[in-house]
Amino acid sequence: MITASLYIVICTARNRLRLRLRRLREPRYLFGAIAAGAYFYFTVFARIRGGRMARARRQNATPLMAGATAAALQGSGPGLAAIAMFVLAGLAWVFPAGSGLLDFTPAETDLLMPAPITRRQLLLHRMIRSQIGLFFASVMPAILVPSASALSRVRLAMAIWLVLVTAKIYFTGVTLTRTRLASALGGDRWAAWTPVAVLLGAIGIVASSMWRTFDGNTLDGPADLLKHLGRVATTGTAGIVLFPFVALVRPIFAPWPGPFLAALLPAAAVLASIIVWVLRSDEGFEEATAASAARRAAAGSRSVTAAPVARRVAWTLAPRGRAEGIFLWKNAIQMLRETTGGMLARYLVPLVLVSVSAGTALMAGNRARGTAMTLCSLAVGLAAFAVMLGPQVLRIDLRDDLRHLELMKTWPLDPSAVIRGEMLWSGIVLTGVAWLAIVCAMILSAAGFPRLSLVWRLSGSMAAMVIAPALVFAQLTVHNAAAVLFPAWVPLGHSRPRGLDAMGQRLILFGAVVLTLVFMMTPGVLAGAVLWIAFQRFMGAAVVIPAAIACLGIVAIEVIAASEALGPAFEMMDIAAVERAE
Amino acid sequence: MAISVEHLRRQYGSFTAVDDMSFEVGGGEIVGLIGPNGAGKTTTLRSLAGILRPTAGHVRIDGYDIVEHAIEAKRRLAFMPDEPHLFEYLTVLEHLRLTARLYAVHDIDHRAKVLLDELELSGKEHALPGELSRGMRQKVVIACGLVREATALLFDEPLTGLDPIGIRKMRETIVARGRAGAAILLSSHLLHLVEEICTRIIIMDGGRIVADGTFAELAAHLEIAAAGSSLEQIFMRVTGRETSAR
Repeated sequence: MITASLYIVICTARNRLRLRLRRLREPRYLFGAIAAGAYFYFTVFARIRGGRMARARRQNATPLMAGATAAALQGSGPGLAAIAMFVLAGLAWVFPAGSGLLDFTPAETDLLMPAPITRRQLLLHRMIRSQIGLFFASVMPAILVPSASALSRVRLAMAIWLVLVTAKIYFTGVTLTRTRLASALGGDRWAAWTPVAVLLGAIGIVASSMWRTFDGNTLDGPADLLKHLGRVATTGTAGIVLFPFVALVRPIFAPWPGPFLAALLPAAAVLASIIVWVLRSDEGFEEATAASAARRAAAGSRSVTAAPVARRVAWTLAPRGRAEGIFLWKNAIQMLRETTGGMLARYLVPLVLVSVSAGTALMAGNRARGTAMTLCSLAVGLAAFAVMLGPQVLRIDLRDDLRHLELMKTWPLDPSAVIRGEMLWSGIVLTGVAWLAIVCAMILSAAGFPRLSLVWRLSGSMAAMVIAPALVFAQLTVHNAAAVLFPAWVPLGHSRPRGLDAMGQRLILFGAVVLTLVFMMTPGVLAGAVLWIAFQRFMGAAVVIPAAIACLGIVAIEVIAASEALGPAFEMMDIAAVERAE
Repeated sequence: MAISVEHLRRQYGSFTAVDDMSFEVGGGEIVGLIGPNGAGKTTTLRSLAGILRPTAGHVRIDGYDIVEHAIEAKRRLAFMPDEPHLFEYLTVLEHLRLTARLYAVHDIDHRAKVLLDELELSGKEHALPGELSRGMRQKVVIACGLVREATALLFDEPLTGLDPIGIRKMRETIVARGRAGAAILLSSHLLHLVEEICTRIIIMDGGRIVADGTFAELAAHLEIAAAGSSLEQIFMRVTGRETSAR
């Protein structure tokens, strides 16, 4: 079976590489590959070379970390990393992490599962197949981390690979064992509960060691805390319990060559013991793979969203009306049904982070303090996010509906109306969010912008509310125009084409979107500037409002004109140009 | 003529999928489009439906060119593809309402109820496509095609995924629509179905029409009108597979 697995892995990798090389004959992929290559060169390799030359000039290498805390962190590294791994290992039983090893592809399910091979062989096959992904996951950090030599990068990549592969197989073992915890067979149940009991015992030992170490001791700062934690992990009974974890992470910290090679052996032994444990836990294989398949089936073809729920919505499509209304309704229903708690969390966390960062950066110059200022910063950041990044993130428009192009092309609709309709819902949502955030910022503006007068703050807020839809719809027009004119360049729905060339395509597309947006906004901004120059003397700060209205008007004309111009292109659009992801 | 195709050609890059294809389908006719895999049947139907733009030639629906008067032509057309692609977030009833709005269908609630009963989808009105079996999704696509009074109906493998009852009902529905005056073009590999319900048969191979006529005409032309002759025999002989099939 191992040879068969290797055959699948090698053939798949070879054919994928051939496919990607072959598609470089197409200019869009060739340009994409060049762009991505240049990006990698200038952001990674050139920086590495630059850093090496700088170190050579200084003639004495600067330590990676400085200060007492950093020194303590380096000294206690294996112990601290082992404790982190230990915590993760414990949490995996409560919140099982999907390792992916049990996620058999449809081809594997149909061809390998009915084949005369054992469950253990199937598990081994999945372990072998996961190696290419793990290889890249190990190599990338090794390339990015500042290092003196190529050899030390190889050393780091090997050490990271050991940790990743052990963690992946361990998580699979947890999933397999969890399915047997409630087994009807007594022997099975006991075998499944044994590792849980061992882990609970280990937690007790480590916890009591920590209690003894820290009880009554006063700590002299973070460095002292790290030093104590490192000591707990490597000495006494807790040191014995945590030895496998320390052994696993030690190669990351061990210098080349002697200590590193010596550290590799115990780490490899830990990996081997985990593999043996997982292979011996294969009784729960069918249940675990079935559960995994059910989860994936529930998630459907859209891997990033949960299965949709047929929630009742109090909005029925009117039997008559403009074509744009059909898409407004359809996309609204989609968003309402697509939005789940998990999805909200997935988007809200980065949204809050970006909003806080943007708002804080913007307000830093004001040197204001307090809750009102913080909330004002948040509101400004949120508005900026909704207006500037929202159209990129919220893709419930033609970019998503390219998947349904075949169906939509049979509809008797004016193609220009289709394009306008597709943009409508996303535009309304983003404008609504931006307006809400701007109103909040306006209310709190006295704290957030203390240097500005009331007239300026009110005028600025009003102008921002006027200009927000202009920016949102201008960007949506550019994105949807790209979907119509260059459908092969646009990621389809939630799928993402893979490969260096595809990454380069995205970079080029992003640059083109920014340029086109600047081009679209320029006439409006110029008109606004003319109004500003002409009437600022008479109207003062309030002139920004008519200037923004002028800009909005011009952008609105541009958006309508663009949608009309794109209509024939949509009609001509070839379904064969829409590319499914690999 | 409800469907008129003149010198249709469709290329994918340098590959010609359909070449110099001409035929007509009148109201009340049920025409079977058959051919081996890769013959160009689906490309033909997609070109007729306005999904693929013809590289050359003309397709007219009720006299309206599918390229020059796309909206008028599409208004008179119903295409039922072999793969049921539906909007994941719209329920069965919402799909029918959407279709009604697109094609200006009146009295959709009544029509939807009748159609859902006919296609045994009652009780599934508020289900999302993800909650339906493949066969049911296929029925939803068919329901969307039949909810309006299209003059030209294009079926691409309409029976795929249907259960025996569904197949029977579908067969009856197609025949009923034909009798009601619709022009029907049906692509299928189920030769017995084509033989049973089609009034005329077009056989394609290599992107071209290799035979066109009624079953009797084809049999007579090929001199295999002996007792027991079937569409399968005709198909094998016309496409040159007869020798290899033996």
